[in-house]
Amino acid sequence: MIRRNFLRDLGLSAASLPFLAGLPSLYGAEALGSRKQRLIIMFTPNGTLPGEFWPKAGPLTELKPILKPLEKFKDRMLMLKGLSNRIKGDGDGHMRGMSCLLTGIELLPGNIQGGSDTPAGWANGISIDQELKNFLQKDAATQTRFGSLEFGVAVPDRADPWTRMVYAGSNKPVAPIDDPYQMLNKLYGQMKDRATLVGVLDDVRDDLKKISKKISREDQRAIKDHMELVKAMEEDLKRAGDRKLVHPEPELDPNIELVNDNTPEISRMQMDLLVNSMANDMTRIATLQYMRSVGQARMRWLEVEEGHHQLSHEPDKNEDAQEKLLRINTWFAGELAYLVQKLSDTPEPGADGSMLDHTTVIWTNELGKGNSHTHDNIPFLVVGNGAGFKMGQCHDFKGAPHNRFLMSLAHSFGHELKSFGSEKYCGDGVLPLG
Amino acid sequence: MRSATVLLLLVLASFSVSCGKRSKATSGSSGEVIYAEQCASCHGAKGEGVDEEYDEPLWGNKSPESLARYIHKSMPEDDEEAVVDEDAEAVAQYVYDAFYSPAAQARNSPPRVELLRLTNNQYRQSMTDLIGSLGPQTRIGTERGLKGRYHNSEKMAKEKDFIGERVDRLLDFDFGKGVPMENMTQQGFSIRWTGSLIAPESGEYDIRLRTHNGALLQLNSFGGGGDEDAFIDAYVSTNNELQEKSRKIFLLGGRAYPLHLQYFSYQEKVSSIHLEWKLPHGVWEAIPHEFLSPQGAAPVTLVQANFSADDRSRGFERGSAISKEWQEATTFAAVEIVNHVVANLEQLGRQRKKNYKEAGDLRKLCMEIAERAFRRPLDGEQKAFFIDSRFEGAKDVESAAKQSLLLILTSPRFLYPGLADNEGAPDGDTIASRLALTLWDSLPDEELCKAAREGTLQSTGQVAAQARRLLEDPRARIKTREFFQEWLAMDEREDLGKDGKLYPGFDQRIVADLRGSLETFVEEVVWSEQSDYRELLTADYLYLNPRLAEFYGGPVPDGEPYAKVAAPDGMRSGIFTHPYLLAANAYHDNTSPIHRGVFLSRNVLGRLLKPPPEAVAFKNEEFDPTLTMREKVTELTKKDTCMQCHRVINPIGFSLESYDAVGRYRTTDNKKPINTVSDYVNDQDEQIRVESARDLAKLAVESEAAHRAFITHLFHHLTKQSTEAYGGEALDLLRGTFVDSGYNMQNLIVEIATVAALHHEEDEAVALSTPTP
Repeated sequence: MIRRNFLRDLGLSAASLPFLAGLPSLYGAEALGSRKQRLIIMFTPNGTLPGEFWPKAGPLTELKPILKPLEKFKDRMLMLKGLSNRIKGDGDGHMRGMSCLLTGIELLPGNIQGGSDTPAGWANGISIDQELKNFLQKDAATQTRFGSLEFGVAVPDRADPWTRMVYAGSNKPVAPIDDPYQMLNKLYGQMKDRATLVGVLDDVRDDLKKISKKISREDQRAIKDHMELVKAMEEDLKRAGDRKLVHPEPELDPNIELVNDNTPEISRMQMDLLVNSMANDMTRIATLQYMRSVGQARMRWLEVEEGHHQLSHEPDKNEDAQEKLLRINTWFAGELAYLVQKLSDTPEPGADGSMLDHTTVIWTNELGKGNSHTHDNIPFLVVGNGAGFKMGQCHDFKGAPHNRFLMSLAHSFGHELKSFGSEKYCGDGVLPLG
Repeated sequence: MRSATVLLLLVLASFSVSCGKRSKATSGSSGEVIYAEQCASCHGAKGEGVDEEYDEPLWGNKSPESLARYIHKSMPEDDEEAVVDEDAEAVAQYVYDAFYSPAAQARNSPPRVELLRLTNNQYRQSMTDLIGSLGPQTRIGTERGLKGRYHNSEKMAKEKDFIGERVDRLLDFDFGKGVPMENMTQQGFSIRWTGSLIAPESGEYDIRLRTHNGALLQLNSFGGGGDEDAFIDAYVSTNNELQEKSRKIFLLGGRAYPLHLQYFSYQEKVSSIHLEWKLPHGVWEAIPHEFLSPQGAAPVTLVQANFSADDRSRGFERGSAISKEWQEATTFAAVEIVNHVVANLEQLGRQRKKNYKEAGDLRKLCMEIAERAFRRPLDGEQKAFFIDSRFEGAKDVESAAKQSLLLILTSPRFLYPGLADNEGAPDGDTIASRLALTLWDSLPDEELCKAAREGTLQSTGQVAAQARRLLEDPRARIKTREFFQEWLAMDEREDLGKDGKLYPGFDQRIVADLRGSLETFVEEVVWSEQSDYRELLTADYLYLNPRLAEFYGGPVPDGEPYAKVAAPDGMRSGIFTHPYLLAANAYHDNTSPIHRGVFLSRNVLGRLLKPPPEAVAFKNEEFDPTLTMREKVTELTKKDTCMQCHRVINPIGFSLESYDAVGRYRTTDNKKPINTVSDYVNDQDEQIRVESARDLAKLAVESEAAHRAFITHLFHHLTKQSTEAYGGEALDLLRGTFVDSGYNMQNLIVEIATVAALHHEEDEAVALSTPTP
């Protein structure tokens, strides 16, 4: 079915043309007098290998094997050890790991049964990215066309608490878009349509002209009126087309099928689109979700044939599994490195420095460790200087609730929340990250 | 406006020179005489132009003063002094009044078949059928309900053990603490329903899921059936609470839309699932089984863009307004459809998108779409313009195809169906195009195109036979249904709500039932073998469901949604007394003989009523409270000027006073016995005594004016053109065959379609430029 609100999405009203729509920020106009700040949250599933991931607390000197791809960003990195997702209640560990990760609140009782524990429903509150989106969209100076964009990579097509981490509110999951072509269309579809349209309107008029010569004079009036209208539309569109983007629309290879084995290509396409959409200030908040909690991606491009979730259940002493999980997590780190590199290579529009100076990238996971399903020591790795945290550090918060970190993120945007998610875990306030 | 001015300047600038035979005008002559003497030899006796002299006709929108100045200065071309000053003014005024001005043009030009654009409805239908023609055609069988597959679940395995399969009439289940089928476990079970939804009319539908558990609905999905293209996602439940999720969708009537519903209950005390809708004029209800089919259907391409309403100034929708809103809406709809086609080639019945890398395949597709859209094969020049020029040298075939399709779908050849007509006697393609538009509001199907190609769509017999075939299609049924909604003014009063104290129980549910009853009645009559128009007027029965039977009295039927039952009061006569129409043409707290009388005399009896000379409002509180409604209306309209029309209106209304504001039979009004007797004045100025609805029906059955009104309304609805455009005698001929056929309405529709399809008028432009002998 065609999207019902197609024209409304394009901003059509009786008085204005749809292809002219778009907030000024679509064209990258810089709001004066305020420092632009962005947030990207990247998620990968099924826990990490703590021994290969966490360094000692203190200044970041040497990185563990998983993080080798990020070596050159060491000074701009911050690792937050010892944060726990303390949320209890309904749902199995993976469900709560996923759906409470960014919401910090319990799941509603429901009908989705996992491998253990009680069945559950959706999370009972908003996620931090959406909270910040709402905060930024309220102010004209920080408002963008989309407010937030939810990217996915190889996310299975199912709507359940294992597959959603973004929530617009209680019981309101937001689905990621894992098709780069669909995302491209969301970002640039109307501009492409406009170009196609401009390309034919002149010919439509020629056609009308030819016809008008052949019909009786009484009937010519309609065709002539029609011709005038086409001409007016053509002029309007041409005028609108003269406005330029700060960054040109990215060119995607049009032949990538959305299948498991193309995940590496899809991942890069999505990151290209993500950075591009931020460079053109279409959004300042984005999430990037790889697969899903309990995801069974078969990463054949890493010569791993087994499903990811199955591997993550293997005991520590299974060396083969450990080695494969190391490969998998190192690959994820490499993807993060690509994203960070791209941000650092792109000059900040209208300001000094690179986009990475204005962006906070977070890499996280629903579990601390795959085979124990622990919610302690959830991986939280920060790259980039958007939030103004003191970087080049590894802190150990010794079991502090992760709600406090979510609050810290809000405060870094000037959104000084007293609590976020379940209040009982927020008593000690934001983390000392200055 | 500007274009007309340009044309005028052109006309004036090229007044031609060629004869020097003229002498000076006789000063002081009338404009007509001067024109005949000085101007007609070049411009023609009626300004139509003369070949070899000045062949452009004289028409435009300059003022008489401006024309006079021009004539004074420059006319006649070979002797500018011949017509000056007051002579120029006189001739200008004459030219202006006689044929130059737009008003004169309208007066002089005989009614003709106008070039009209597609109406909004025709546009939607044509686009849907155009894209639908690319893939397999859905034919829905007679079986009704949805096919359900029942499973027990275990943990994450929703379909662990297959228990059974059955066709469910309705999805309106409260399982409570029980299970849907024997051998199912209350602990966890799932049901998957498949089939299609049949839309009975075009409009905005509300679709709703209500469940205590999890359910996911796909409707008309072009996607792969995953969660992402769910129409309603209620998959995850909370606390076993009742979830209620609804969504709107615009559907075209007479078509089937694929439907797929997954439902499951897991460790929940209470289980329920309801699939409900609210029709464009309805109330919430479980989707009745006659609109569900266990058979699948191909997804239907629908135009979702908003259009502003079509012109209705002549009492029926027609595509005459070429506005900015319309031009934008059609352009954006074309963009929307082109993107949709290119993105969904596979779902539309074509090869996988991958295989379309070859330009040839896409070219072929564009060609196919163009021929359908333009309603005839393309000539060489058109093929080069619409197709080849887009693909030649294009670096990306998909963009080339998009350009080509956009050009085709915004072309006037698609938007103005009359442009498909050939010159001279209509050929097969012209006939096919007209038949499909008249009967379906859409494009010819494969069979019509084939008949046109093979030359078997020429004789009156062949054309009528095709018209009969088209009439069997659901699209013709829908168009006919829309005609009756229009003729019976069913949508003019959106709110039939009545005073709850006076008419307890007459709620929205009853109003929706009444509408269903009236539509059922009309359809049963129209699609019966006799299809007898007189039956519509005289039927002594009603279609009732249990709720209506209870409200209006009479035996309570069971079984079908509406059953034909003898009228409870024995006093009914077809549409004259159908409670829906009686209630629609009444006040919220009383009857209205005037509303009933005006509606019936105009639409059904075919009387011409002028607008009232003075506006008089009916103010109930200003009358003596002991009066009956009849007495109040008599008092209100007693003036002679009123009675010019009310001598027609009032008797009709008074004869229906035995039916109250909700259409129930009654014998008293305001505690006085009802008097229904009065003298109606017919169009021959004869007085006829009427005292009941039966008498009114008799009047209509015997009245030529009533027949003409019915035929004219139907003709307008089908063709969007005036009957006069088809020759002065067209209406009489149609009435003749109508009467001879035993007032067969299906036959009449076929006749109208045939007349319109075979119509051939002399090319007016040619006729006008022919020199007067």
